[in-house]
Amino acid sequence: MMIELAEVEADTSRPRTSDARGLQLSIAGIKLALKSTDPTMKLGVTGASKLFLTEETACDATLSAAWGLLDEEALGQPLFDSGALWKLYRGEDDGFTLRFATPYLGERPYKLARFNHDFTQGEVLLHHPFFAQDQVLFPLEYPLDELWLLNLLARGRGAELHCSGIRDERGRGILFVGQSGAGKTTMSRLWEAEPGVEILSDDRIVLRSVEDGQYCMYGTPWHGEAELSSPEKAPLAAIFFLRHGERNHLRDLNRAEACARLFSCSFPTYYDAAGLDFTLQFFEQLTSAVPCRELSFVPEREAVELLRRF
Amino acid sequence: MKEIKENQKQAKKPYARPVLKQIALRPEEAVLGNCKTAGISGPVSTGNCAPGGPCSTQGS
Repeated sequence: MMIELAEVEADTSRPRTSDARGLQLSIAGIKLALKSTDPTMKLGVTGASKLFLTEETACDATLSAAWGLLDEEALGQPLFDSGALWKLYRGEDDGFTLRFATPYLGERPYKLARFNHDFTQGEVLLHHPFFAQDQVLFPLEYPLDELWLLNLLARGRGAELHCSGIRDERGRGILFVGQSGAGKTTMSRLWEAEPGVEILSDDRIVLRSVEDGQYCMYGTPWHGEAELSSPEKAPLAAIFFLRHGERNHLRDLNRAEACARLFSCSFPTYYDAAGLDFTLQFFEQLTSAVPCRELSFVPEREAVELLRRF
Repeated sequence: MKEIKENQKQAKKPYARPVLKQIALRPEEAVLGNCKTAGISGPVSTGNCAPGGPCSTQGS
């Protein structure tokens, strides 16, 4: 694959095309491969996903991309309706199909992604008439890329949270969890100005268990308003649940509340009982290993100072 | 042994009545139903939104 990383880092606005018939992404240590045997399909990567390109060829999961003429074919048993872009179906072969449609293009799906039972193999079909002839395509375009990773994580690999996260100048990973409006972007911008600090993401972080009961946090391509995204990682040292306040204040949380609040800021596979079990156990173990507190804060540097003393 | 039992008694936490606390879920954020950012590489070169118009399905 002819990718110059320096150029990728310098400009994430232009798509990066792949001369080879595939590309690989590494997100949270999970290697995803996208391939196509169709010479007319120009594969590329858009946005912050370019930062997650890897040359490694040994992958955890692989999707093949192809053109199709998608119709209202039988997709299997309906499992979940997101209420917007995607629906999930279960096939007779125990596989899954994600169906993507948008009101702008009508009822017909613009994309189908079929997976095997554990989401490690599959194919993504794009409805050819909806796409321009010479268009550079990223068939994993959001939300398929994130949904794919979420289903892989729910199978014993980890969990993703709606949060921002930093690696401070001492190398410690600090997580700021909260739903929209809680202050994730504000907190990211406060830390962005601090020397030696790396913002791993202003909106999505993946957590995974590593050896000796430790946890690692990873940046993801799915940034928020501040567009801060990094493929880096850090050992998780503390979790703060954000809320705007009239003063800077820390409150200890008991494990039950911490677990519930982690769950409310995660992206559970509601259609998968085993995945839900794993996610809840993961949060239970996480809250026994990592301190969890609520942080009420005012958007000033004093909040950073308070956390530095923590 | 008696001393240990005495210490355990002293360490026992006072009874606290269980309190039901509700944590709000936001399904529209949790299910990734909408576009995260406007127009990137989707159909008709403009993401999943109408060409030239505002993204109609942008979400968190």
